[in-house]
Amino acid sequence: MFDLQRMIRMLRRLDWVFILSVILLILVGIVFIYSATYRSAENPMTELTRKQLVWVMVGTGCFLLAALTNYDFVAGQAFWLYSACLVLLVLVLFFGIRIYGAYRWLNLFGFQIQPSEFAKLGTLVALAHYLGTPSRDLRHPATVGACLLITAIPFVLILQQPDLGTAMMLAPLVFIMMYVAGVPMVYLLVLGGLALLSAPLGWFVLDDYQKERIMVFFDPGRDPLGAGWNKIQSEIAVGSGGWDGKGYMMGTQNILGFLPRTVAPTDFIFSVIAEESGFVGSAVVLGLYVVMIGCGMRAAVRARDRLGRLLAAGMTGLLFCHMFVNVAMTVGLMPITGLPLPLISYGGSFMICTMTGLGLIQSVYIRRQPR
Amino acid sequence: MTEGRQMVRIALVAAVTLAAWAGLGVRLAYLHLGENTHLRDRVENIRRIEKEILVGRGRIFDRNENLMAMDLSVKHVFVDPVRIQENGYGGFIANQLGRLLNLSPATIASKIERTGRRHEYVAKYIPEDKAREIDQLGFNGVHFEDVSARYYPRGSLMSHVLGFSNLEGVGSAGVELRYDRYLRGVPGLRITEVDGHRREVYLRRGVDIRPQEGADVHLTLDQHIQYFTERTLDKTMEEHNALGAWAIVQEIKTGRILAMASRPAFDPNEFRYSQPEERRNRTIAYTYEPGSTFKVAIIAAVLNEHLVNPGDLIDCENGMWLYNRRPLRDYHAYGKLTVADVLKKSSNIGTAKLAMMLGEERVYEYLRNFGFGTAADLELPGEEAGILHPTRNWSAISLSRIAMGHEVAVTALQMVNMLSAIGNNGFLMKPRIIDRIVNAEGEEIYRSEAEALSRPIRGETARLMCKMLTRVTEEGGTGRKAKIDGYTVGGKTGTAQKPKDGSYSDSANIASFMGLVPAEDPQIAVIVVVDEPQPLHTGGAVAAPAFRDIAEQSLRYLDIPPVPAELAYHFGDEVPEF
Repeated sequence: MFDLQRMIRMLRRLDWVFILSVILLILVGIVFIYSATYRSAENPMTELTRKQLVWVMVGTGCFLLAALTNYDFVAGQAFWLYSACLVLLVLVLFFGIRIYGAYRWLNLFGFQIQPSEFAKLGTLVALAHYLGTPSRDLRHPATVGACLLITAIPFVLILQQPDLGTAMMLAPLVFIMMYVAGVPMVYLLVLGGLALLSAPLGWFVLDDYQKERIMVFFDPGRDPLGAGWNKIQSEIAVGSGGWDGKGYMMGTQNILGFLPRTVAPTDFIFSVIAEESGFVGSAVVLGLYVVMIGCGMRAAVRARDRLGRLLAAGMTGLLFCHMFVNVAMTVGLMPITGLPLPLISYGGSFMICTMTGLGLIQSVYIRRQPR
Repeated sequence: MTEGRQMVRIALVAAVTLAAWAGLGVRLAYLHLGENTHLRDRVENIRRIEKEILVGRGRIFDRNENLMAMDLSVKHVFVDPVRIQENGYGGFIANQLGRLLNLSPATIASKIERTGRRHEYVAKYIPEDKAREIDQLGFNGVHFEDVSARYYPRGSLMSHVLGFSNLEGVGSAGVELRYDRYLRGVPGLRITEVDGHRREVYLRRGVDIRPQEGADVHLTLDQHIQYFTERTLDKTMEEHNALGAWAIVQEIKTGRILAMASRPAFDPNEFRYSQPEERRNRTIAYTYEPGSTFKVAIIAAVLNEHLVNPGDLIDCENGMWLYNRRPLRDYHAYGKLTVADVLKKSSNIGTAKLAMMLGEERVYEYLRNFGFGTAADLELPGEEAGILHPTRNWSAISLSRIAMGHEVAVTALQMVNMLSAIGNNGFLMKPRIIDRIVNAEGEEIYRSEAEALSRPIRGETARLMCKMLTRVTEEGGTGRKAKIDGYTVGGKTGTAQKPKDGSYSDSANIASFMGLVPAEDPQIAVIVVVDEPQPLHTGGAVAAPAFRDIAEQSLRYLDIPPVPAELAYHFGDEVPEF
C-alpha cells in the first residue's frame, strides 16, 4: 500500500516556487508575530509565537497529507466533509466560547477551533464536487440554485455567530466556482447585479457596530477614539513606516499599544509589517502573494479535469480575497472586517485550513495534465 | 466550454486580480512614500503631551502661625449622559444625586437627558466626604474631578486684609492679590510621550520642569486682637446705627499692624455673594476729613518749632472769630486757653492761631513729613493717598481749616501712623502687615524689617505730646470715655461733619478716636473711626468707648504691664512742659 517510490515521484512534481513563497510568507508571519507580541527581554519568546510555530508544524503535516492524497478521493468525501462542517457550525452556536461578543470558537478535545474557517474549506470542496461532476448540466438554472443553496446554509449559520466578514467570503467563493466551472456569463451577471442591488438592503440587517464601522470608513473623524481608532492608527502605522520602515521591533505604534494588542498579531499584522519594514517590506509581502496566487492560478489552468480546476481556483480565489480584504482594510481602502492575512496572521484554525487548502492546490498540480 | 472561451475567462480573472494588486500597491505607496507628513505629525501629536503640573497655593498665617487661608481639595461632580442613557437608570440617579447634593432632581435629570454629551457638571466644589458618599453608590456614569478650593477657616475674620482668590485660584483682593505671585507658585511643565492607553512612557520624558509650590505668607496681624477688634466694631455699629466702622491696632515701635478691621465685612469663602462696599477695606481705602484728631499734628509742629510753650495762653475769642472775613467757631466758647488746653478742649480757634504762627509752608512741610498726602505703601491693593493740596492751591482761609482737620482727606492708617510717630520719639515707621514669606522648602524668601520713613518731630517734642495727650482722657477732656483702668491713655477725639452736596452736613459725621497706651512708654496705638453714627455723633461719645474696649483687651492679651503708679502721668489741671 505504502509506495515510497511513487511518493518521491509525486513530491518531485510539487510546485517548488509555490512552496518557497509559502515558506517565506510563514517566516514573515512568525517574525512579525514575535515583534507584535514582544513585551520584555526576560520573556522574549512569546506564547503566541510559540503556539504559531506549533500550528505551522501541524499545518505542514496537513499540507503534505492533502498534497499526496488524490483530490478525487477528497471530493468523494464532500458530502461528509460538508455535513461535518455544518454540524460544527450548529454546535458553535450552542456550545461556543464567547469572545468579544461573538460565538466563534468551539472547544474540541482541549483545542479551541474556529468552525467557520473549516466551513469555508468544506463549502469549497462541496461546490467543487457538485460542479465538477462531468454530467452536471451547467446551463440549467437549477444548478445555479443548488450552488447558492450549498453556500447559503453555512453563510446563514456563520452570520448567526455573528461573523459577517467570514460569511461574506463565501459570496466570492461561490461566484468564482461557478465562473470557473463555466456557468453561462448571463447567470453570473444577473447574480452580480442582484447582489449589487440588494447591498443597500443589507444595511438594515447589520448590527449597530457593523454600521458604525462602515460609517467610520467614510468618515474616520466620526469617532476617532472608538470605532475609528483602529483604522486611523493603522493608517498612521503604515504611513509612518516610510520607505524602509522604523526597523524591526521598533514600530512605536505597535510597541506603545496604539495598535490594540489584541489585533496587532492577528488582523492588523500587516500594519506592523508596514510600520517596521516600510514600503520595501510591504511590497515584498505583496510580491510573495503575487507569486503564490499566480502559482495557484497556474495549477488551476493546468489541472487535468474540471474538479481539479475548481478546487485549485476556488482555494486560490479564497486566498486572494482574504489577502486583498485584509490589506485593503489595513491601508484604509475598505471598512474594518475581522479577516486574517493568510499564512501571516496568528491563528491555529486558519493556519491549518490554509495549509490544507494549499495542499489541495498542490494535489491538483501534482496530478496536472502533461504538456 | 471551448478553448477560446476558457482563455477569455482566464484573462479576465488575471486582469481583475492584477488590477486589485495594483490598487493595493498604489495605496501602499501613497501611504508609505507620499506627502503625508500629516500622518507622521499626527503620530507625534497623539503621543506627545504637554502637561502643566499644577501646584497648591500657599497658605496665609497670622503672626502666631494660625491658619487664615489654605487650599482644600474638593471635587466637581459630573455625569456622562450617554453612558447613563445606555444603562437607563437616569431617573434613579437624578433622584439620588439630588438627595445627596441638596439639588432639585429635575435639574439633574435635565442634564442627564441631554443627548450626545459625555460631560455635564452637576455640582462643583463639593467636600470630599460628600463625594465619597456618592461614589459608594457606584453609579455608572457619575464621575468626579479633583480640584482645589481656597478655604478661609475663620470665615469673615480678617477678610479685608486676606482678600480672596477667585475660582481659578488667582488672588483677587487683599494679600491674596498683592502677594499672588508668591502664593501661587510656579506650575511645572512636563513634555512626554504616552502609549495607547494614555499612560506616560517614562523613558521618553523630555522636558521636566519641577513645579514650585506656592509660598506661605505670614502676617503681622494677630487673630485674637483682630477678633476682639471686629467684635467691638460690630457692637459699635449696632449701638450707634452707623454706616460703617473701622479700626487699626498698631505696634508703635515697629510699625507692625496687629489688627486691621473694617465694617461692613464679607466672608471670603462666599466672596461671590458679597457687595463691593462689603469688600472695601475702609482703613486704607476710605478717605475722610479727620477733624480734630488732625490738631495733634499741628500742635506737635508748633511745639517742635519752639514757637510756643504748652503753658502759653491763646485767645480763643469766646467761640467766634472772623478770620479773613470768614467766621470760625468753637463747639464750646472759651476765652483764653493754654496751648495744652487748646488740645484738651479741642479748640478750633486756638489751633488755627497756632497754625498761623507756623505759616502755610511749614504746616505743609510737617504734614508731609507725618505722611499725609502719600500712601504709606502698606502693600495692600487699593490703598488711598488721601488729599493734601500744595500751598499754592490754598485759599485765604485754608490754613485755619486744615488746622482743624478740614480741607484734607486722610486714611485711618495715616492717622494711626502719625500718632505712632508721636509715641515713638518722633520716628515715623513704615506700617507693615507682612512679617515674612516662606517657600515650600521652608526657606525664608522675604522678611520685613522695621523701617523709619522720617522723623517729623524731635524726641522731646514727641514725649511732651504724649504727656499733653493724656490730659484729653482726663476730667474735662473730650476723650474721657477712652480711659482704661490702671493705664494712662493719650489720645485725641475727632468729630468731622461729612461734606454732602457741596456743604457740610449737620447730621452726618465721622466720629473718631485715636490713642496710644501706655502713654508713659507707648506700646500700641489704636484708631477707631465710625461713619455716620446716630444719634450720638461725637468721637468722644462713639469712638472713644470702642477704643477703650479694643485697647484694654489688647493690653491684656499682649501682656503689657501698666506703669507703676508713682511713674504714671497724671497732670490734672497742671500743664506739662518740655
